[in-house]
This record gives sequence, C-alpha cells and structure tokens, in this order.
Amino acid sequence: MSLRIMPKSALKAWIQRLQQRSFRIVGPKALHGRYVFADITDPDELAIDYPTTLSAPKQFLLPPREVLFSFNADTMDMTAHIEAEPTVLFGVHTCDMHAIQLLDTVQNNGFADQHYRARRDALYLVSIECLKPCSAQCFCKDMETYSITETYDVHLADMGDAYAVRVGSDKGEELLAGFTNIWEGADSDQQRLNEVMSQKWQNFEFRLDATLSQLPEVLGAAMHSAHWDELGDICLACGACTQVCPTCYCFDVTDEVDLTLTHGVRLRAWDSCQIEKFAVVAGNHNFRSQLGRRQRHRFMRKGKYQYEAYGKMGCVGCGRCGTTCPVAITCIKTFNHLTQESAERQAAVEVKA
Amino acid sequence: MTTRPRPKVAFFDFTSCEGCQLTVVDLLQDHPELLDAVEIVEFREAMSEKLPLDERYTIAFVEGSCTRASDEARLKSIRERADFLIALGACADLGGVNTIRNVMPLQEVREYVYGDKADWYETYPARPIKAVVKVDAAIPGCPIDRNEFAKAVTHLLQGRLPNLPDYPLCIECKALGTVCMYQRGQACLGPVTRAGCGAICPAVGYGCEGCRGFVPSPNLASMREVMREAGVGDEEIESRLRIFLTYQMMKLEGVTS
Ligand code: SF4
Ligand code: SF4
Ligand code: SF4
Ligand code: SF4
Ligand code: SF4
Repeated sequence: MSLRIMPKSALKAWIQRLQQRSFRIVGPKALHGRYVFADITDPDELAIDYPTTLSAPKQFLLPPREVLFSFNADTMDMTAHIEAEPTVLFGVHTCDMHAIQLLDTVQNNGFADQHYRARRDALYLVSIECLKPCSAQCFCKDMETYSITETYDVHLADMGDAYAVRVGSDKGEELLAGFTNIWEGADSDQQRLNEVMSQKWQNFEFRLDATLSQLPEVLGAAMHSAHWDELGDICLACGACTQVCPTCYCFDVTDEVDLTLTHGVRLRAWDSCQIEKFAVVAGNHNFRSQLGRRQRHRFMRKGKYQYEAYGKMGCVGCGRCGTTCPVAITCIKTFNHLTQESAERQAAVEVKA
Repeated sequence: MTTRPRPKVAFFDFTSCEGCQLTVVDLLQDHPELLDAVEIVEFREAMSEKLPLDERYTIAFVEGSCTRASDEARLKSIRERADFLIALGACADLGGVNTIRNVMPLQEVREYVYGDKADWYETYPARPIKAVVKVDAAIPGCPIDRNEFAKAVTHLLQGRLPNLPDYPLCIECKALGTVCMYQRGQACLGPVTRAGCGAICPAVGYGCEGCRGFVPSPNLASMREVMREAGVGDEEIESRLRIFLTYQMMKLEGVTS
C-alpha cells in the first residue's frame, strides 16, 4: 500500500468534489462546545481535529429508528424498505473503526442483516489516526484499538501541513478518482510519517490495571461481586451509556398501523439493557429487574461475552459512556475496581494456602 | 378499507387548561380520517351534542384533575358509562400542576386566588383521576403529544390498551443527538421522566421538567445528587420535582392527600 500526500488545504476541495458527485458527507461537527457526528453541508463545518464525539457514528449504520418494511394489513402485501444512500463518513477514530469491525462481524453472522448490509455497502470510511488520547475517559491503548483496522477505505494521518493518505480498498480509490491535489509520497514523506507515528505511541498511557487478555477472566470472577449493587444504587437506568456506545446494537421491534388500521410499518429502534423493561418476557417476568444485574450485564458484554462470542472485545475503550453518565459510572473505574477485587481474592487464597 | 363499527368516543374535562383537548382538535385538522375511525359523541371543545343517557361510551377521554368533592360523582358516572376510560394529559394522569398547591395550606391558597370570595369556592387537594376511579390507560404529557394520541387511539381500535413508552427520556434525547443539558451546565429531569415527547425540551435548550411523569422506578436519591452536582440548590431541586410531580412525590414519600 503506497503512501500518498494531500495538502491539508485540499481537504475542502475534496469534500466539495464528493458532494458534487452526490455523496452524502457526514463527520464530526461542533455543537454547544462538544462534537457530534452530523451531516456536513459546508466543508468548513467539518471539525476533523475533534477530540471525540458525544455519540458514536453507529447511527449511520444502525439508525436510532428505522422502517424495516411497510404492509397492508388487509391484503398482507409487504414492501421491504432497504434504503442506503452513498455516504462518506469522515474523521472516524481508530476505536470507532474497531467498533464498526465488531458490528460487521455481528451483523453478518448467520443471516446477515440486510438493512445493515445495504447501509454498510454504501458507507465509505475515511478514518484518521489519533495522535493523542481524545479524552480523560478513553483507554484505547488498553483495548488495543489505537491503531487502525484493515477496514478503512481511506486513512489519514496528520503530518502538520499535509495528510499522509492510505487507500485501503476499491471504495477508497473511488473516492479519490479524478482528484488531482494528491500525489505519491516520496521516501522522505514515509520517514516523516514514521516519525509522527513513533511519537504517537508515547502519548498514550495504560489506564486499566488489567491487560486486555486478563479482562474476561477478571469479569468472569466478578460474577458475584458486591460492586454491581453499588453501581446499581447510584445508576439512574437512563440508558445514556448504551445509546452513545459504538458497539451497542440492541433494538426493539414494533408494528404501527395508521388510523384506518390498514397501512402499517414495522419499526426497529434502539433499545437499552439498562432500562427497566428490557428483560421482561412472557408472563411479565423480568429476569433482570435489579439495577445491579443490568450493570453487570452491560460490563460483562463489554469485557467478556462479546470477546467469547466473536473474538473481539465489546468495548473499544472510546470512553463515551463514562463521559455521558450522569452519575460518573465509567469503564475505567469499574474495570479497575473489579481488577483490584480480583487481586484481593487472589491474595486471600494465597494467605490461606 | 374494511368497514368496522365506529367506537363512540367522548371527551370530558375537569380542572385543566384544556390544552390537551385543543391538541386533539388540532390533530383533527390534519387527520380527518380519525372521524372515519371513531364517532365523537361528546366533545365540549368542538360540539354541543350529547350522547343519550342510556347509551355507553366505548372510549371516554378525561382531561383535568379532581380538585373538589363534587368532581367525584361526575367522574364516577363517566366511569360507569365507559368501556375504556383514558386519562388525557398530565392533569388527569398525575394531578399535574394543580397539585402544586397540595403542599400548602388550602385556605391560604384559596385566599390568594379568590381573595375575600375564597369561601364561595369548593376545593380540596388536587388528585389524578386514578385516585378516584379505575383508569384503563393514560396519555401522558402537558400537553399530550398529538402523534402519541393518534397512536393510542390506533391501539384502542385494535382492541388493546395503548402501548406507550415508559422508559427514560434520555433514550429519546440521545437518539436525537442532543447535547445533554448537564453537559451544558443545566439540570434536567430526563433520567427519571418517561419518554414519548421526543425530548423536545432539551432539543430546544431547556431541561426536562418531568411533565410526562416518572419512569416506573425512578432513582430519586441519585437524581437529586446529580442535580446537586450540577449546582442546583436543594430548595430548587425540590421545587423542580414539584412542578408536575407533586402527587407522585407525595405518594413515593408515603404522604397521601
Ligand atoms: S463501553 Fe463505553 S468505553 Fe467501551 S466502547 Fe462502549 S462507550 Fe466506549
Ligand atoms: S449512563 Fe450511567 S446512570 Fe445512565 S444507565 Fe448508564 S450507568 Fe446508569
Ligand atoms: S396536562 Fe397541561 S395542557 Fe393538558 S390540560 Fe393539564 S395543564 Fe393543560
Ligand atoms: S438532556 Fe436530559 S434527557 Fe437528554 S440525555 Fe441529558 S439528562 Fe437525559
Ligand atoms: S422534555 Fe420533559 S418537560 Fe418537556 S415535554 Fe418532554 S417530558 Fe415534558
């Protein structure tokens, strides 16, 4: 994969060109002093140097609410709604690229989700190298998500006045087709990139006390920890943490018909394991009525279950849940608390022996 | 379209501002098909006819809270004649803003409002209609959300009770991509308030005041702590929790009126 160089000043022209070619452009944008992924109409709005966004870019693959199909309840005719507009997602950080990789794995597993598939095929990923931690809550170094996945279409790295550009797929070539303000990098450019990258690693610190490979075990041993109820006592069950998480994909499905009771749609909307009725089943039985159990479930998904099912962690260390949680329940604090407990248990066993 | 018998629908009001009924009138402007689906037999806001006394209402929508002893007989007679009785809006469902006075001495409130005519008016602590009669379902909000009303009617036409969200507002707010009020240095009751309004207040820059009522198990101790952390004083926290939620708060605290 060869290196290309694009002057930073050319980014705007590239975006304008893509807009002329009818691509929808989405990317990080400032809002009330924070950043969100949103539609970019004016290229100047794109805040590609953003620290992190409040919510994950999963909304472009799994919208908060979507119509799966419409139906006529009298004739039972059904029409699938599979809509996908060619969309370029700019400025995806590496942790979010890892999250998209996990979503790909999950959604393609068994019967591929055709709505996801269509959006994913129409989504072009322009990722950007993180050169320093994006927030006080991120721990991507621990989760091994601070380097890029193979799934990018175009990957950018900031070299001061220019971007080092790597093209990872035919879709990436398609985005750059006919754009001339970009050229093959020379050896000196490669050297510059190497320097930028070698400085990058030292900017990141480990923030977890357990290593990635220890985490599933730490969580497994914490099944009966009293800490879950401590979290449950303060948790508001507001669901904000799962809504903003790049890897949470749980949904609810409902049918809605119009007032004539004839025309209807089947809807899919984001759900959250933190809300009270998430685990209500037939007979009104709720197998996770306690808040502590719901917290346990969330953290087990993040640090153990997903890893066991798909070989990839359900947490990519983006830190968003910790930033958003009104009561400051964070992954770093929780994982470290459980690691500490695990060490104490271990020590107790050793004393006995 | 298959022809179905049209259910007889009636609207009634108790102590309220009529904003919820107006929302229904407003909905009728662009959903005239509602009139094909139901037969409106009583609706003071829109017509003067009344259903003969020996006939039943399929659905009775009741707006407003009970604020005096004499409301109870009227409400009970509506209940007796209705297959389904649905509370329409925060006043009926929660007691709403009318219950703010429940924490003050009633005579003082009366004198404040009616001056030297205070004794002319009958009153008692305001209460939601479910404190007086059995209510089959409620459409929350101050005022109700017009689309949610249409949805509730659709569910009733399908022969089931309205299935409306009772999860926290934050779920809707995050789905919209609104920057959280707490991240803008303001308080919001969203984490303990049921969704369904589309989180419209945070969307336009105001913290939620809880007009749709609490989620089924609100963690109030934690909610208060979050507001305190956000710099809201104890007194203001309590008054925010008592704009729409006085009755629910008193119930939770074991104080009944
Ligand atoms: S669990 Fe939290 S830190 Fe981990 S990926 Fe989800 S939002 Fe990010
Ligand atoms: S954001 Fe925090 S308070 Fe809300 S459900 Fe998640 S952990 Fe609980
Ligand atoms: S709930 Fe609000 S809008 Fe509806 S009647 Fe009461 S005060 Fe008016
Ligand atoms: S603004 Fe209110 S409703 Fe929205 S996420 Fe924040 S606390 Fe929840
Ligand atoms: S945001 Fe809160 S106060 Fe505003 S309409 Fe919704 S429930 Fe009512």
